Amino acid sequence: MYSIQNLEDERNKNKAANEEDYLKVTDLVTNFYTSRGIVKALDKINFSIRRGEIFGMVGESGCGKSVTALSIMDLVQDPPGRVVSGRVEIDGFNIFSDIKDLARIRVKSETEVKIKRNKRAIKKHNFMLSKIRGKKAGMIFQEPSLALNPVLRAGDQITENILLHNKKAIADSLINRANLSLDDVKLVVDEVLNNKGETKSILNNWCRKNALVDLETQINSIFKNYTDPKEIENEIVSLIKGGITLVDKSSLIEARDYYDYREKMESFEIKRFAATEENDRELIRSIEAEEVKLRTTSGARFRSYSLRRIFTGKKVEKAFKMEANRRAKELLSLVSLPDPERIMKSYPHELSGGMQQRLMIAIALASDPKLLIADEPTTALDVTTQAQILKLLRNLNQLVGASILFITHDLAVIAEMCNRVAVMYAGSIVEQGDVLDIFDSPKHPYTVGLLGAIPTPQVKTDAGINLHTIPGSVPNLITPPSGCRFHPRCSFAMEICSKSKPKLVELEAQRKVACFLYSSEVEE
Amino acid sequence: MELRFFIIRRLLLMIPTLIGLTIIVFVLMWSLPHTFLASAFINPKAPNRAQAILTAENQLGLNQGIVLAYLHYLANTLTGNWGYMTLTTPIKFDGTVLSGIGLFFPNTIQLVIFAAILSILIAIPLGTYIGARPNSIADHSGRIFSLSFYAIPVFVLAVVFQVVFGKGVIKGNPVGIFPISGTFSISAINVISPPSWLVSGVGGVVLSEPTHLIIFDSLIHGDYALAANAFMHIVLPVLVLTLSLLAGILRFLRASMVDAANSEYIKTARSKGVPENIVIKLHMRRNALIPTITVLGLLFASLLGGVVLIEDVFDYPGIGYLALSTILSGSIFGVLGTTFLFGIILITANLLVDITYAILDPRIRY
Repeated sequence: MYSIQNLEDERNKNKAANEEDYLKVTDLVTNFYTSRGIVKALDKINFSIRRGEIFGMVGESGCGKSVTALSIMDLVQDPPGRVVSGRVEIDGFNIFSDIKDLARIRVKSETEVKIKRNKRAIKKHNFMLSKIRGKKAGMIFQEPSLALNPVLRAGDQITENILLHNKKAIADSLINRANLSLDDVKLVVDEVLNNKGETKSILNNWCRKNALVDLETQINSIFKNYTDPKEIENEIVSLIKGGITLVDKSSLIEARDYYDYREKMESFEIKRFAATEENDRELIRSIEAEEVKLRTTSGARFRSYSLRRIFTGKKVEKAFKMEANRRAKELLSLVSLPDPERIMKSYPHELSGGMQQRLMIAIALASDPKLLIADEPTTALDVTTQAQILKLLRNLNQLVGASILFITHDLAVIAEMCNRVAVMYAGSIVEQGDVLDIFDSPKHPYTVGLLGAIPTPQVKTDAGINLHTIPGSVPNLITPPSGCRFHPRCSFAMEICSKSKPKLVELEAQRKVACFLYSSEVEE
Repeated sequence: MELRFFIIRRLLLMIPTLIGLTIIVFVLMWSLPHTFLASAFINPKAPNRAQAILTAENQLGLNQGIVLAYLHYLANTLTGNWGYMTLTTPIKFDGTVLSGIGLFFPNTIQLVIFAAILSILIAIPLGTYIGARPNSIADHSGRIFSLSFYAIPVFVLAVVFQVVFGKGVIKGNPVGIFPISGTFSISAINVISPPSWLVSGVGGVVLSEPTHLIIFDSLIHGDYALAANAFMHIVLPVLVLTLSLLAGILRFLRASMVDAANSEYIKTARSKGVPENIVIKLHMRRNALIPTITVLGLLFASLLGGVVLIEDVFDYPGIGYLALSTILSGSIFGVLGTTFLFGIILITANLLVDITYAILDPRIRY
């Protein structure tokens, strides 16, 4: 039924890949404080995602998959929801480092909860998050037609993300291009035309030398489309100089320095968050000293610049916007959307569901994040579009090197897509391991039931009586079952199951199960 | 590109609506006794009354059947022959309905435009602020404010404001500094030899030349003291209108902001790393303004009703004042003319709302 060969290949590749964790979630607890009681949506979730891998998360609806995705980015709607405790480390930085300062929650009873939010801390927290979200991790939602802003053009929704996080990089590449002389272009065109066979490597070297890597594919296609050296030259020059002609180099350099200064100040802020959590006084003091030093040396200059920018910065901003537009078009062709020029100008409602989801992926990838959180990205699409989107995500995983957290209720999709998988039940992870292992020998009774519930062609020929289901339904998370939350539905339930919660323990390498059938370790 | 076609189509669609309006006004007219109509249509100053009535009957097409009569009515309306009003005839007023409207309408426009601009300028930032912070103290006070001013009828509000802020209504009231009636104080002009650009108008009301707006006319003629005096006179009516309009806009903007805040695309915007203030100002408000604009059209209609009452309370010579005095004096063509005018205003307002709607929401193209 599943392509085992595929899985095997995946697995080998995965082993060779860098083993370092990009996302590490520790003891994450998310509650929803509703008028009917506290919904304990996430009960101490632990997992981690390595660089470059596709990590699946599977479970019935209402088990907390989507809440996990939202909690990782701290996007849970507040009120009623709140991440209460835990750590989410993205690229080594814990975004909940200030979680204790954000709000004080006093629980009088299930329905009577007083939450006192600290507005200043939340403001700081949001500022810090706005530097992480989009840049370090992007997100794709279930229903693209709802997730795209209906009143903004597709192009503007992508460039918004690009301009938020890449101003300095854009300024750098614009300056590099401004520095390039026409003779340089002439030389490389001659070189390529003389050595036809090595077009790619010559261009690659040249682009790298002149910091034009982001234009490489476009320059390549120019060589394919034109034959006349003069024409090629003109095309390349207009590509490279496009947008720069608007502004003189000195204002570009000024803008670059300004954004460089701002990025440095922001990184101090973020470093201080991390140091505050570890309570490292020494480190905080040295960060603050550095910050003060930078502010005294160049602060005044940029304060005046940020004012002047309002009046004279229009041209620079326009050049930035043009460059962002160019990058956005590149992204649109990266997600295989036809006619990027037209799509840039269209509104979301003018696109089909599959195109909308591709656009959504392009938006999420706009600032080149190394983690993509895909929350049931194909559930709202029809089957053929679904296959296309899945293929696209896999290709992007290879091409861009971004890890993907793939959330779905569809086990077939998990088998198709993922390297590793975590099975969730009622707010906790019950089993975790390599996809092949889980499908080969499921350990947790819930996983066994879940795999048994997949309809197969044989079921029908056997007079339709063999379709397995798991008895009962997902418990109400306001009053979850005591101990192991699965025990009321479990056919192997023992006495201990209703008394204490099993810990997620490592059975063998990369294989974790939370069940008393395999280990007696108890979660505190 | 598409938007331009939409606007052209919408403008063309206005024609059948206007025809519908003329039909309604015509049917109202046709249902009255025809001899009465003919006698009301003539110039009261005409020397030969019997002859004039005959001419009027022909002009209205009263004896040529309903279809031809309607066409006559249409022709009369389009050529500006809206009939006469039986009012005391002052200088500069030739007694036609159209010139009566010309004299009084600018004053109403002035009130409505001041109130609309003021309330939109206050409501949009305020609604954005409280809508983005649901259940905060600012939100609760904003809701209490808007609900109460939305519920109180404008004429009641007008009377209350007259009492509280009116000059000389309560003795020793420190905030009672605003005049409560008219467009200016007699004491502000030289009564013995009034400036030539001030003319006494219908029913003893004094009107000014050339714009008929006393504030602007006195500015044009360099009488700044009178301009200041006239400005003080419109403060209270504008304030009352502003508050009632503001309350309506605020209520709906706040509600649609809360709606927008719960949408998926706000999560998307945050997941991109958009700073919170831009999430609110660009992503939320842009979407929240769409339903608010729709409501603005309805609010504007109720504002027109309110302005008639307010002008009466403040003894303010505007279109409401004119409509009321034509009704009271039984001048049927004055009533029909103002009805027609109100219809045109409403249709125009709806057109503006639809166009704004289409600009804000790219999905709207009907």
